[in-house]
Amino acid sequence: MGKQTTGQPLVASTCWRWVGERGLRVETGAMTLARYMLLISKNLTDVEDIIPADGSLLLILRRSARVSPEVRAALSAPLDVAQTAVKGKRHEIVVDYGGAAGPDLPALAKRAGMSEAAYIDCHAATEYTVAFLGFQPGFPYLQGLPPTLQAARRASPRQQVAAGSVAIGGRYTGIYPTDGPGGWHVIGRTHTVLFDPQRAAPALLMPGDRVCFVPA
Amino acid sequence: MIEVLRAGLCDLVMDLGRPGRRMLGVPAGGAADPAALAAANHLVGNDAAAAGLEIALSGPRLRFPLGGVAALTGARFAARRSSGAPVAWNETLVLAAGEVLTLDRPESGCRCWLALRGGLAVPSVMGSRSTFLPSGFGGHGGRALQAGDVLHCGVPTNEMKLLRASPPADEAEGDLRVVAGPQAGQFDDVGLAAFFGTPYRVDAASDRRGVRLAGTPVSHRRAELPSQGVLPGSVQIPPDGQPIILGWDGPVTGGYPVIAGVITADVPRLAQLKPGDAVRFVTIEVEAACELAAAQWTFKELA
Repeated sequence: MGKQTTGQPLVASTCWRWVGERGLRVETGAMTLARYMLLISKNLTDVEDIIPADGSLLLILRRSARVSPEVRAALSAPLDVAQTAVKGKRHEIVVDYGGAAGPDLPALAKRAGMSEAAYIDCHAATEYTVAFLGFQPGFPYLQGLPPTLQAARRASPRQQVAAGSVAIGGRYTGIYPTDGPGGWHVIGRTHTVLFDPQRAAPALLMPGDRVCFVPA
Repeated sequence: MIEVLRAGLCDLVMDLGRPGRRMLGVPAGGAADPAALAAANHLVGNDAAAAGLEIALSGPRLRFPLGGVAALTGARFAARRSSGAPVAWNETLVLAAGEVLTLDRPESGCRCWLALRGGLAVPSVMGSRSTFLPSGFGGHGGRALQAGDVLHCGVPTNEMKLLRASPPADEAEGDLRVVAGPQAGQFDDVGLAAFFGTPYRVDAASDRRGVRLAGTPVSHRRAELPSQGVLPGSVQIPPDGQPIILGWDGPVTGGYPVIAGVITADVPRLAQLKPGDAVRFVTIEVEAACELAAAQWTFKELA
Protein backbone atom coordinates (compact mmCIF):
# COMPACT_ATOMS: atom_id res chain seq x y z
CA MET A 1 0.00 0.00 0.00
CA GLY A 2 1.12 3.51 -0.71
CA LYS A 3 3.81 2.46 -3.12
CA GLN A 4 4.54 4.57 -6.16
CA THR A 5 2.47 3.56 -9.15
CA THR A 6 4.57 4.11 -12.23
CA GLY A 7 3.82 1.08 -14.42
CA GLN A 8 6.07 0.40 -17.36
CA PRO A 9 8.40 3.16 -18.54
CA LEU A 10 6.40 5.70 -20.50
CA VAL A 11 9.28 7.11 -22.46
CA ALA A 12 12.88 6.43 -21.71
CA SER A 13 13.99 9.87 -20.60
CA THR A 14 10.83 11.15 -18.92
CA CYS A 15 10.03 11.04 -15.21
CA TRP A 16 6.29 10.62 -14.77
CA ARG A 17 3.73 9.68 -12.11
CA TRP A 18 0.00 8.97 -12.00
CA VAL A 19 -2.43 11.40 -10.38
CA GLY A 20 -5.54 9.23 -10.14
CA GLU A 21 -5.91 7.06 -13.25
CA ARG A 22 -6.62 10.01 -15.54
CA GLY A 23 -3.77 12.34 -14.58
CA LEU A 24 -0.27 11.86 -15.91
CA ARG A 25 2.30 14.12 -14.24
CA VAL A 26 5.37 14.55 -16.41
CA GLU A 27 8.60 16.27 -15.32
CA THR A 28 9.45 18.87 -17.96
CA GLY A 29 11.81 21.26 -16.15
CA ALA A 30 12.69 24.42 -18.05
CA MET A 31 11.04 23.01 -21.19
CA THR A 32 7.54 22.97 -19.64
CA LEU A 33 5.98 25.61 -21.85
CA ALA A 34 7.69 24.37 -25.00
CA ARG A 35 6.52 20.80 -24.33
CA TYR A 36 3.02 22.12 -23.59
CA MET A 37 2.93 23.94 -26.94
CA LEU A 38 4.12 20.84 -28.77
CA LEU A 39 1.52 18.60 -27.07
CA ILE A 40 -1.31 21.06 -27.78
CA SER A 41 -0.29 21.26 -31.45
CA LYS A 42 -0.78 17.47 -31.77
CA ASN A 43 -4.51 17.62 -30.89
CA LEU A 44 -4.24 14.34 -29.00
CA THR A 45 -7.68 12.73 -28.98
CA ASP A 46 -7.14 10.82 -25.72
CA VAL A 47 -6.14 13.97 -23.82
CA GLU A 48 -8.92 16.14 -22.33
CA ASP A 49 -6.71 18.89 -20.99
CA ILE A 50 -3.11 19.77 -20.10
CA ILE A 51 -2.00 21.88 -17.13
CA PRO A 52 1.42 23.53 -17.33
CA ALA A 53 2.90 24.21 -13.88
CA ASP A 54 6.25 24.73 -12.15
CA GLY A 55 8.54 22.33 -14.02
CA SER A 56 5.87 19.76 -14.78
CA LEU A 57 2.83 19.13 -16.96
CA LEU A 58 -0.32 17.31 -15.95
CA LEU A 59 -1.99 15.53 -18.86
CA ILE A 60 -5.61 14.71 -18.10
CA LEU A 61 -6.75 11.69 -20.11
CA ARG A 62 -10.34 11.18 -21.19
CA ARG A 63 -12.37 8.79 -19.04
CA SER A 64 -11.15 5.17 -19.46
CA ALA A 65 -8.45 6.24 -21.98
CA ARG A 66 -5.05 4.54 -21.82
CA VAL A 67 -1.70 6.18 -22.59
CA SER A 68 -1.67 5.92 -26.39
CA PRO A 69 1.36 5.57 -28.67
CA GLU A 70 0.59 9.10 -29.92
CA VAL A 71 0.87 10.49 -26.38
CA ARG A 72 4.13 8.60 -25.79
CA ALA A 73 5.51 9.90 -29.08
CA ALA A 74 4.51 13.49 -28.29
CA LEU A 75 6.15 13.31 -24.85
CA SER A 76 9.45 12.08 -26.29
CA ALA A 77 9.47 14.09 -29.56
CA PRO A 78 12.47 16.44 -29.72
CA LEU A 79 11.77 20.15 -29.25
CA ASP A 80 13.15 22.47 -31.88
CA VAL A 81 14.87 25.71 -30.95
CA ALA A 82 12.00 27.92 -32.11
CA GLN A 83 9.57 26.07 -29.82
CA THR A 84 11.80 26.46 -26.77
CA ALA A 85 11.82 30.25 -27.09
CA VAL A 86 8.18 31.10 -26.43
CA LYS A 87 7.96 34.91 -26.33
CA GLY A 88 4.55 36.35 -25.62
CA LYS A 89 3.15 39.84 -25.40
CA ARG A 90 4.60 42.52 -23.13
CA HIS A 91 2.25 44.13 -20.58
CA GLU A 92 2.70 47.16 -18.32
CA ILE A 93 0.62 46.96 -15.17
CA VAL A 94 0.13 50.07 -13.03
CA VAL A 95 0.29 49.34 -9.29
CA ASP A 96 -0.56 51.31 -6.14
CA TYR A 97 2.16 50.00 -3.84
CA GLY A 98 1.92 49.94 -0.04
CA GLY A 99 -0.61 51.57 2.28
CA ALA A 100 -4.06 49.95 2.43
CA ALA A 101 -3.47 48.43 -1.01
CA GLY A 102 -0.30 46.64 0.13
CA PRO A 103 -0.56 45.79 3.84
CA ASP A 104 2.40 43.35 3.84
CA LEU A 105 4.90 45.75 2.22
CA PRO A 106 6.37 47.18 5.47
CA ALA A 107 7.09 43.74 6.96
CA LEU A 108 8.51 42.35 3.70
CA ALA A 109 10.77 45.38 3.17
CA LYS A 110 12.00 45.16 6.75
CA ARG A 111 12.75 41.45 6.36
CA ALA A 112 14.66 42.17 3.15
CA GLY A 113 16.62 44.90 4.95
CA MET A 114 15.35 47.55 2.56
CA SER A 115 13.27 50.69 2.73
CA GLU A 116 9.74 50.37 1.34
CA ALA A 117 10.75 52.65 -1.53
CA ALA A 118 13.75 50.46 -2.38
CA TYR A 119 11.60 47.31 -2.26
CA ILE A 120 9.09 48.92 -4.65
CA ASP A 121 11.87 50.09 -6.99
CA CYS A 122 13.34 46.62 -7.08
CA HIS A 123 9.94 44.95 -7.71
CA ALA A 124 9.12 47.42 -10.49
CA ALA A 125 12.58 47.32 -12.11
CA THR A 126 12.25 43.68 -13.14
CA GLU A 127 10.67 42.22 -16.28
CA TYR A 128 8.76 39.09 -15.31
CA THR A 129 7.65 36.14 -17.41
CA VAL A 130 4.32 34.37 -16.93
CA ALA A 131 5.34 30.81 -16.08
CA PHE A 132 1.82 29.41 -15.80
CA LEU A 133 -1.69 30.27 -14.59
CA GLY A 134 -3.25 28.57 -11.57
CA PHE A 135 -4.84 28.93 -8.13
CA GLN A 136 -7.64 31.15 -9.52
CA PRO A 137 -8.78 31.66 -13.12
CA GLY A 138 -6.25 34.00 -14.69
CA PHE A 139 -3.84 34.07 -11.70
CA PRO A 140 -0.32 34.46 -13.17
CA TYR A 141 2.75 32.92 -11.57
CA LEU A 142 5.37 35.49 -12.59
CA GLN A 143 8.96 34.32 -12.57
CA GLY A 144 12.00 36.53 -12.34
CA LEU A 145 11.47 37.83 -8.78
CA PRO A 146 14.86 39.02 -7.43
CA PRO A 147 16.04 36.67 -4.62
CA THR A 148 16.13 39.53 -2.07
CA LEU A 149 12.36 40.04 -2.53
CA GLN A 150 11.41 36.37 -2.16
CA ALA A 151 9.48 35.30 0.94
CA ALA A 152 7.73 32.08 2.01
CA ARG A 153 3.95 32.32 2.07
CA ARG A 154 2.15 33.74 5.10
CA ALA A 155 1.83 31.28 8.00
CA SER A 156 -1.94 31.71 7.97
CA PRO A 157 -3.77 32.71 4.78
CA ARG A 158 -6.06 35.75 4.71
CA GLN A 159 -9.76 34.99 4.40
CA GLN A 160 -10.18 37.82 1.92
CA VAL A 161 -7.69 39.26 -0.55
CA ALA A 162 -9.02 41.94 -2.90
CA ALA A 163 -9.10 41.44 -6.66
CA GLY A 164 -6.08 43.15 -8.26
CA SER A 165 -3.81 42.54 -5.27
CA VAL A 166 -0.15 42.21 -6.30
CA ALA A 167 1.57 39.70 -4.05
CA ILE A 168 4.72 37.74 -3.27
CA GLY A 169 4.70 33.95 -2.77
CA GLY A 170 8.01 32.12 -2.57
CA ARG A 171 9.95 32.57 -5.81
CA TYR A 172 6.99 34.17 -7.55
CA THR A 173 5.11 37.39 -7.71
CA GLY A 174 1.49 37.24 -8.81
CA ILE A 175 -1.79 39.14 -9.11
CA TYR A 176 -5.12 37.98 -7.64
CA PRO A 177 -7.78 38.29 -10.39
CA THR A 178 -10.71 37.65 -8.01
CA ASP A 179 -11.65 38.47 -4.41
CA GLY A 180 -11.04 35.44 -2.20
CA PRO A 181 -8.80 33.78 0.35
CA GLY A 182 -5.05 33.91 -0.25
CA GLY A 183 -1.76 33.14 1.47
CA TRP A 184 0.67 35.42 -0.40
CA HIS A 185 2.11 38.69 0.92
CA VAL A 186 0.14 41.60 -0.56
CA ILE A 187 2.32 44.58 -1.53
CA GLY A 188 0.03 46.58 -3.80
CA ARG A 189 -3.02 46.64 -6.04
CA THR A 190 -3.83 47.23 -9.70
CA HIS A 191 -7.08 48.26 -11.37
CA THR A 192 -6.23 46.15 -14.42
CA VAL A 193 -8.83 43.41 -14.97
CA LEU A 194 -6.89 40.15 -15.17
CA PHE A 195 -9.76 37.80 -15.88
CA ASP A 196 -13.14 38.38 -17.52
CA PRO A 197 -15.05 35.26 -18.55
CA GLN A 198 -17.05 37.32 -21.07
CA ARG A 199 -13.96 38.37 -23.05
CA ALA A 200 -12.94 36.38 -26.12
CA ALA A 201 -9.59 35.91 -24.37
CA PRO A 202 -10.68 35.71 -20.70
CA ALA A 203 -7.18 35.75 -19.21
CA LEU A 204 -5.21 38.98 -19.81
CA LEU A 205 -1.87 37.29 -19.19
CA MET A 206 -0.85 34.05 -20.88
CA PRO A 207 2.10 31.75 -20.23
CA GLY A 208 5.14 33.18 -21.99
CA ASP A 209 3.89 36.80 -21.75
CA ARG A 210 6.19 39.38 -20.13
CA VAL A 211 5.04 41.76 -17.40
CA CYS A 212 6.44 45.02 -16.02
CA PHE A 213 4.96 46.79 -13.00
CA VAL A 214 4.70 50.57 -13.06
CA PRO A 215 4.26 52.43 -9.73
CA ALA A 216 1.13 54.64 -9.87
CA MET B 1 -40.03 27.25 -16.31
CA ILE B 2 -39.14 27.10 -12.61
CA GLU B 3 -40.06 29.57 -9.88
CA VAL B 4 -37.90 29.27 -6.78
CA LEU B 5 -40.29 29.56 -3.82
CA ARG B 6 -37.61 28.67 -1.28
CA ALA B 7 -33.92 28.20 -2.03
CA GLY B 8 -31.95 25.24 -0.73
CA LEU B 9 -28.57 25.52 0.96
CA CYS B 10 -26.72 25.63 -2.37
CA ASP B 11 -28.71 24.99 -5.55
CA LEU B 12 -26.42 25.42 -8.55
CA VAL B 13 -27.07 25.27 -12.28
CA MET B 14 -24.69 22.65 -13.65
CA ASP B 15 -23.92 20.89 -16.89
CA LEU B 16 -20.90 18.75 -17.74
CA GLY B 17 -18.49 21.64 -17.15
CA ARG B 18 -15.86 23.41 -19.21
CA PRO B 19 -12.89 21.06 -19.66
CA GLY B 20 -10.03 22.24 -21.86
CA ARG B 21 -9.46 25.62 -20.17
CA ARG B 22 -7.28 24.60 -17.24
CA MET B 23 -4.29 26.34 -18.82
CA LEU B 24 -6.14 29.60 -18.01
CA GLY B 25 -6.48 28.49 -14.39
CA VAL B 26 -10.13 27.57 -14.99
CA PRO B 27 -11.16 24.19 -13.54
CA ALA B 28 -13.51 21.97 -15.55
CA GLY B 29 -16.17 22.24 -12.83
CA GLY B 30 -19.60 20.89 -13.80
CA ALA B 31 -21.81 18.36 -12.03
CA ALA B 32 -20.04 16.60 -9.15
CA ASP B 33 -21.38 13.31 -10.56
CA PRO B 34 -21.53 13.97 -14.30
CA ALA B 35 -22.97 10.52 -15.07
CA ALA B 36 -25.85 11.14 -12.64
CA LEU B 37 -26.71 14.47 -14.31
CA ALA B 38 -26.40 12.86 -17.74
CA ALA B 39 -28.76 10.08 -16.60
CA ALA B 40 -31.31 12.62 -15.32
CA ASN B 41 -31.10 14.36 -18.69
CA HIS B 42 -31.63 11.06 -20.52
CA LEU B 43 -34.77 10.41 -18.44
CA VAL B 44 -36.33 13.65 -19.73
CA GLY B 45 -35.15 13.25 -23.32
CA ASN B 46 -32.34 15.84 -23.11
CA ASP B 47 -28.84 15.58 -24.45
CA ALA B 48 -26.40 14.51 -21.71
CA ALA B 49 -24.85 17.97 -21.65
CA ALA B 50 -28.07 19.93 -20.92
CA ALA B 51 -28.01 22.11 -17.80
CA GLY B 52 -29.88 20.98 -14.69
CA LEU B 53 -29.75 21.72 -10.96
CA GLU B 54 -27.26 20.31 -8.48
CA ILE B 55 -28.80 20.36 -5.01
CA ALA B 56 -26.78 19.81 -1.83
CA LEU B 57 -27.71 18.96 1.80
CA SER B 58 -30.94 20.95 2.00
CA GLY B 59 -33.19 21.30 -1.02
CA PRO B 60 -35.39 24.01 -2.50
CA ARG B 61 -39.13 24.38 -3.01
CA LEU B 62 -39.80 24.84 -6.72
CA ARG B 63 -42.99 25.71 -8.60
CA PHE B 64 -43.51 24.70 -12.22
CA PRO B 65 -46.18 27.14 -13.55
CA LEU B 66 -46.34 25.38 -16.93
CA GLY B 67 -45.77 21.86 -15.61
CA GLY B 68 -43.07 19.87 -17.32
CA VAL B 69 -41.10 16.67 -17.40
CA ALA B 70 -38.42 16.23 -14.74
CA ALA B 71 -36.11 13.62 -13.28
CA LEU B 72 -34.06 13.27 -10.10
CA THR B 73 -30.87 11.26 -9.67
CA GLY B 74 -28.23 11.04 -6.96
CA ALA B 75 -28.91 11.09 -3.22
CA ARG B 76 -32.56 10.52 -2.24
CA PHE B 77 -33.96 13.53 -0.41
CA ALA B 78 -37.12 13.65 1.66
CA ALA B 79 -39.43 15.08 -1.01
CA ARG B 80 -43.07 15.74 -1.86
CA ARG B 81 -45.19 16.98 -4.73
CA SER B 82 -48.20 19.24 -4.26
CA SER B 83 -50.20 16.81 -6.42
CA GLY B 84 -49.60 14.10 -3.84
CA ALA B 85 -47.94 11.92 -6.49
CA PRO B 86 -44.85 10.04 -5.30
CA VAL B 87 -41.42 11.56 -5.94
CA ALA B 88 -39.56 8.67 -7.52
CA TRP B 89 -35.80 8.87 -8.04
CA ASN B 90 -34.18 7.64 -11.29
CA GLU B 91 -37.49 7.87 -13.18
CA THR B 92 -39.19 10.20 -15.63
CA LEU B 93 -41.65 12.42 -13.69
CA VAL B 94 -44.52 14.27 -15.36
CA LEU B 95 -45.41 17.46 -13.48
CA ALA B 96 -48.82 19.14 -13.79
CA ALA B 97 -49.11 22.87 -14.46
CA GLY B 98 -48.64 24.75 -11.20
CA GLU B 99 -47.19 21.78 -9.37
CA VAL B 100 -44.80 22.44 -6.46
CA LEU B 101 -41.86 20.12 -5.76
CA THR B 102 -40.33 20.33 -2.29
CA LEU B 103 -36.97 18.76 -1.48
CA ASP B 104 -35.93 18.75 2.17
CA ARG B 105 -32.88 16.85 3.45
CA PRO B 106 -31.13 13.83 2.00
CA GLU B 107 -32.05 10.48 3.53
CA SER B 108 -28.41 9.58 2.97
CA GLY B 109 -25.64 11.21 0.94
CA CYS B 110 -25.33 14.86 0.04
CA ARG B 111 -26.23 15.79 -3.55
CA CYS B 112 -28.96 15.17 -6.09
CA TRP B 113 -29.50 16.34 -9.66
CA LEU B 114 -32.73 17.63 -11.16
CA ALA B 115 -33.14 17.67 -14.93
CA LEU B 116 -36.00 19.39 -16.69
CA ARG B 117 -37.09 18.68 -20.25
CA GLY B 118 -35.48 21.25 -22.56
CA GLY B 119 -32.66 21.98 -20.10
CA LEU B 120 -32.15 25.18 -18.11
CA ALA B 121 -31.66 28.06 -20.54
CA VAL B 122 -28.97 30.13 -18.84
CA PRO B 123 -26.22 31.77 -20.92
CA SER B 124 -23.19 29.71 -21.81
CA VAL B 125 -20.00 31.24 -20.34
CA MET B 126 -16.68 29.90 -21.61
CA GLY B 127 -18.42 26.99 -23.25
CA SER B 128 -20.56 25.86 -20.30
CA ARG B 129 -23.69 26.70 -18.31
CA SER B 130 -22.12 25.46 -15.06
CA THR B 131 -21.92 27.81 -12.08
CA PHE B 132 -18.38 28.56 -10.91
CA LEU B 133 -18.94 30.08 -7.48
CA PRO B 134 -15.33 30.99 -6.58
CA SER B 135 -15.15 33.54 -9.41
CA GLY B 136 -18.89 34.16 -9.68
CA PHE B 137 -19.59 33.27 -13.29
CA GLY B 138 -21.70 30.77 -15.21
CA GLY B 139 -25.05 29.27 -14.23
CA HIS B 140 -27.70 31.68 -12.90
CA GLY B 141 -25.73 34.92 -12.58
CA GLY B 142 -22.70 33.11 -11.18
CA ARG B 143 -24.46 32.33 -7.89
CA ALA B 144 -26.63 29.81 -6.07
CA LEU B 145 -30.39 30.12 -6.55
CA GLN B 146 -32.38 32.46 -4.33
CA ALA B 147 -36.08 32.67 -3.50
CA GLY B 148 -37.86 34.62 -6.26
CA ASP B 149 -35.55 33.46 -9.05
CA VAL B 150 -37.21 32.34 -12.28
CA LEU B 151 -35.43 29.95 -14.63
CA HIS B 152 -36.54 29.13 -18.14
CA CYS B 153 -36.13 25.96 -20.12
CA GLY B 154 -34.94 25.48 -23.66
CA VAL B 155 -37.02 24.02 -26.47
CA PRO B 156 -36.97 20.20 -26.42
CA THR B 157 -35.51 18.73 -29.59
CA ASN B 158 -35.39 15.01 -28.85
CA GLU B 159 -38.19 12.48 -28.49
CA MET B 160 -38.74 11.18 -25.00
CA LYS B 161 -40.01 8.02 -23.34
CA LEU B 162 -40.95 7.23 -19.76
CA LEU B 163 -37.83 5.56 -18.40
CA ARG B 164 -36.29 4.14 -15.27
CA ALA B 165 -32.52 4.35 -14.73
CA SER B 166 -30.10 2.27 -12.69
CA PRO B 167 -26.67 3.53 -11.59
CA PRO B 168 -23.61 1.32 -12.05
CA ALA B 169 -23.24 -1.34 -9.36
CA ASP B 170 -21.26 -0.11 -6.36
CA GLU B 171 -18.96 -2.72 -4.86
CA ALA B 172 -16.50 -0.72 -2.78
CA GLU B 173 -18.68 -0.43 0.35
CA GLY B 174 -17.70 3.01 1.45
CA ASP B 175 -13.94 2.94 0.98
CA LEU B 176 -12.59 5.52 -1.45
CA ARG B 177 -10.39 3.75 -3.98
CA VAL B 178 -7.24 5.68 -4.87
CA VAL B 179 -4.16 5.38 -7.03
CA ALA B 180 -0.98 6.21 -5.09
CA GLY B 181 -0.06 9.82 -5.83
CA PRO B 182 2.99 11.48 -7.37
CA GLN B 183 4.47 12.39 -3.97
CA ALA B 184 3.50 9.21 -2.08
CA GLY B 185 7.26 8.55 -1.82
CA GLN B 186 7.75 11.74 0.22
CA PHE B 187 5.76 10.35 3.14
CA ASP B 188 7.32 8.26 5.87
CA ASP B 189 5.90 4.93 7.03
CA VAL B 190 4.07 6.60 9.92
CA GLY B 191 2.36 9.03 7.54
CA LEU B 192 1.41 6.31 5.06
CA ALA B 193 0.12 4.07 7.85
CA ALA B 194 -2.07 6.92 9.12
CA PHE B 195 -3.45 7.73 5.67
CA PHE B 196 -4.16 4.19 4.54
CA GLY B 197 -4.90 2.66 7.92
CA THR B 198 -7.12 5.06 9.85
CA PRO B 199 -10.51 6.60 9.13
CA TYR B 200 -11.00 10.33 8.48
CA ARG B 201 -14.03 12.45 9.19
CA VAL B 202 -15.42 14.93 6.66
CA ASP B 203 -15.07 18.46 8.08
CA ALA B 204 -17.84 21.07 7.93
CA ALA B 205 -15.57 23.40 5.91
CA SER B 206 -16.01 21.22 2.80
CA ASP B 207 -17.51 22.45 -0.45
CA ARG B 208 -17.12 22.00 -4.21
CA ARG B 209 -13.55 23.32 -3.97
CA GLY B 210 -12.46 20.54 -1.66
CA VAL B 211 -13.49 17.93 0.87
CA ARG B 212 -11.54 18.66 4.04
CA LEU B 213 -10.82 15.69 6.28
CA ALA B 214 -9.92 15.46 9.97
CA GLY B 215 -8.17 12.56 11.64
CA THR B 216 -4.70 11.18 12.36
CA PRO B 217 -2.26 13.74 10.91
CA VAL B 218 -0.34 12.45 7.87
CA SER B 219 3.30 13.31 8.58
CA HIS B 220 5.65 14.05 5.70
CA ARG B 221 9.25 14.92 5.15
CA ARG B 222 8.63 18.00 3.01
CA ALA B 223 5.49 20.11 3.26
CA GLU B 224 5.76 22.21 0.11
CA LEU B 225 6.95 21.61 -3.41
CA PRO B 226 6.83 23.44 -6.74
CA SER B 227 3.21 23.97 -7.87
CA GLN B 228 1.96 21.09 -9.98
CA GLY B 229 -1.22 20.36 -11.90
CA VAL B 230 -3.97 18.68 -9.87
CA LEU B 231 -7.47 17.46 -10.64
CA PRO B 232 -10.66 16.63 -8.74
CA GLY B 233 -9.93 13.69 -6.46
CA SER B 234 -6.28 14.61 -5.87
CA VAL B 235 -5.58 14.22 -2.15
CA GLN B 236 -3.26 16.95 -0.89
CA ILE B 237 -1.57 16.92 2.50
CA PRO B 238 -1.00 20.49 3.79
CA PRO B 239 1.51 21.19 6.60
CA ASP B 240 -0.99 20.36 9.36
CA GLY B 241 -1.28 16.80 7.97
CA GLN B 242 -5.07 16.88 7.55
CA PRO B 243 -5.93 15.63 4.04
CA ILE B 244 -7.87 17.72 1.51
CA ILE B 245 -9.53 15.93 -1.41
CA LEU B 246 -9.70 18.53 -4.17
CA GLY B 247 -13.18 19.02 -5.58
CA TRP B 248 -14.72 20.04 -8.90
CA ASP B 249 -14.18 23.77 -8.41
CA GLY B 250 -10.77 23.38 -6.77
CA PRO B 251 -7.64 25.07 -8.11
CA VAL B 252 -5.94 23.55 -11.17
CA THR B 253 -2.50 23.78 -9.53
CA GLY B 254 -1.40 23.03 -5.98
CA GLY B 255 1.78 23.31 -3.95
CA TYR B 256 1.19 20.58 -1.35
CA PRO B 257 2.29 16.96 -1.78
CA VAL B 258 -0.35 14.74 -3.41
CA ILE B 259 -0.41 11.41 -1.58
CA ALA B 260 -3.15 9.78 -3.67
CA GLY B 261 -5.78 10.34 -6.35
CA VAL B 262 -9.39 9.15 -6.02
CA ILE B 263 -10.29 7.02 -9.06
CA THR B 264 -12.88 8.33 -11.53
CA ALA B 265 -15.35 5.55 -10.67
CA ASP B 266 -15.42 6.77 -7.05
CA VAL B 267 -15.92 10.48 -7.80
CA PRO B 268 -19.71 9.90 -7.49
CA ARG B 269 -19.06 8.67 -3.95
CA LEU B 270 -16.96 11.77 -3.29
CA ALA B 271 -19.97 13.83 -4.39
CA GLN B 272 -22.09 12.21 -1.68
CA LEU B 273 -19.76 12.87 1.27
CA LYS B 274 -21.18 15.24 3.86
CA PRO B 275 -19.79 16.68 7.08
CA GLY B 276 -19.41 14.00 9.76
CA ASP B 277 -19.08 11.07 7.32
CA ALA B 278 -16.18 8.64 7.81
CA VAL B 279 -13.76 8.01 4.94
CA ARG B 280 -11.15 5.29 4.46
CA PHE B 281 -8.71 5.02 1.57
CA VAL B 282 -7.67 1.86 -0.23
CA THR B 283 -5.27 1.66 -3.20
CA ILE B 284 -5.91 -0.04 -6.51
CA GLU B 285 -3.93 -0.29 -9.73
CA VAL B 286 -4.35 2.11 -12.63
CA GLU B 287 -5.54 -0.55 -15.06
CA ALA B 288 -8.28 -1.70 -12.67
CA ALA B 289 -9.34 1.93 -12.17
CA CYS B 290 -9.67 2.42 -15.95
CA GLU B 291 -11.93 -0.61 -16.19
CA LEU B 292 -14.11 0.56 -13.30
CA ALA B 293 -14.43 3.99 -14.95
CA ALA B 294 -16.10 2.37 -17.97
CA ALA B 295 -19.20 1.33 -15.94
CA GLN B 296 -22.40 2.94 -17.27
CA TRP B 297 -25.90 3.78 -16.10
CA THR B 298 -28.58 1.56 -17.68
CA PHE B 299 -32.15 2.45 -18.72
CA LYS B 300 -35.37 0.59 -19.35
CA GLU B 301 -38.79 1.73 -20.50
CA LEU B 302 -41.53 2.00 -17.89
CA ALA B 303 -44.47 -0.26 -18.76
